[in-house]
Amino acid sequence: MKKMIAAVALGTLLVGGFLFTQDNQPTDLATGESEPSVFSKMSLTSLKF
Amino acid sequence: MEIGSFIKLQRVKQGMTQEELADGIVSMSYLSKIENQRTEASPEVISMLCTRLGIELDGEKDITIKEKCENWFNMLFEVNDKEEIIEAYKELSELLAIVRSDSLMMFEIHKIRYFLILGEYDNALEQINKLNEVSGSFDSLHLFYWYKFKGNYSTANNEFNQAMRMYKVAEDKLNQIKLKDEQVADLQYTIAVTHSKLRNTLESIEYSNKAIDTFQREYNFIRCAQCHILLGISYRRIKMYEKAIKHYNLARRLGELNKNKQVIQLTNQNLGYLYSSIGDSKEAIKHFVEVVEDEMLQINERLLGITNLIKEYYKIHNFEKAHQAIEKANELLELSKENVNYSLYNYIIHTFKFAINEQSDQFISLVKEEFIPYLQKRKDYGNLIEYSNMLAKHFEKLGRYKDSVKYYKLANLTYEEVVNL
Repeated sequence: MKKMIAAVALGTLLVGGFLFTQDNQPTDLATGESEPSVFSKMSLTSLKF
Repeated sequence: MEIGSFIKLQRVKQGMTQEELADGIVSMSYLSKIENQRTEASPEVISMLCTRLGIELDGEKDITIKEKCENWFNMLFEVNDKEEIIEAYKELSELLAIVRSDSLMMFEIHKIRYFLILGEYDNALEQINKLNEVSGSFDSLHLFYWYKFKGNYSTANNEFNQAMRMYKVAEDKLNQIKLKDEQVADLQYTIAVTHSKLRNTLESIEYSNKAIDTFQREYNFIRCAQCHILLGISYRRIKMYEKAIKHYNLARRLGELNKNKQVIQLTNQNLGYLYSSIGDSKEAIKHFVEVVEDEMLQINERLLGITNLIKEYYKIHNFEKAHQAIEKANELLELSKENVNYSLYNYIIHTFKFAINEQSDQFISLVKEEFIPYLQKRKDYGNLIEYSNMLAKHFEKLGRYKDSVKYYKLANLTYEEVVNL
């Protein structure tokens, strides 16, 4: 029983740790580089998305 | 779209409870069964419920609405006039409020993209929350757009990990639906951009290549140019400079052929960054100047160009030119107080201003007390490395070695975090 509780606790910690790492990845790393927009096809007469 | 889901959607849209809608027509539990498609109601009951909701049941009108919807959906992916999109939206909203149409659910889902395109992020979120209630009745096609647009919402909020999760679910739905090649390519392009934002370089190359294959076949030159820019960024990151330059040049050529200044200047921006990273300041400056001097560009793009220019002049110790660039940057900044990146550019400009004027106390105070905590909060690791290093170097020059080590260490730890992604 104790082993099972320990295994579940360890598993939870590992999954929690993994999820934490995933969500704490940086949101944007760009410094001087600039990606094109996901939305627009870029036209000066169009919307600036 | 099933009539039950349609009734539920209309009821939720109008803020009506099941009790209010069912009152005098059917029992509440029976209405619940109709909405959840666990029973088929008689045409009379459906008709009475629709009347209470203020909706007509007209098959002929539905065909017209379907066509109008298709047109409007396409507008959201093509380059179109803002007013035209808004006008088509209003017309459809009015029609769909009174006529029962199979296109309604798709229209409601596309409203997320519509609000994002207009920059109305709160409305987009509200629409997502509203649709959450009925998302259980979505078919595979609905789900594809639902996840794609939820991803778009996360992209607009700079939450690229979350966006990627959504795009991947949308990608999984592709096996179950039949879409035009260009629609598939649009998702691949979107995933490529998101991978690039997350610095997943090889994945970004893979998806850009997939998308560009389709865009070439469809003669969609602007999207081809955008894919070439992504490939340029990716190859620079893995230090394959010649290949990166080749892609940037292809992007620029396509931009010139289509007289698309935004593509041309985005290429210049990134080419400038490439030359700067390989130490060719002369070429870098040439490209940044082109961006800055283009008054037709958005302020945000020009601000990125001018801050890059300031850094480059500072790097080669041309302080006079750097001063001029700072003055110009301040002018641009004045015009963009609403800009989401206003604080970032403001900090960068003042950091260099104090550095060039040798205002050591102000420089230290600004970078240490304000700028670095701001970057940490934003998880902007790229800039954090750059400015921690700059501050560390400054402390080193002053002989304050303990402080210097602290910030070199911060830069190093941040760098490790980026590499470990």
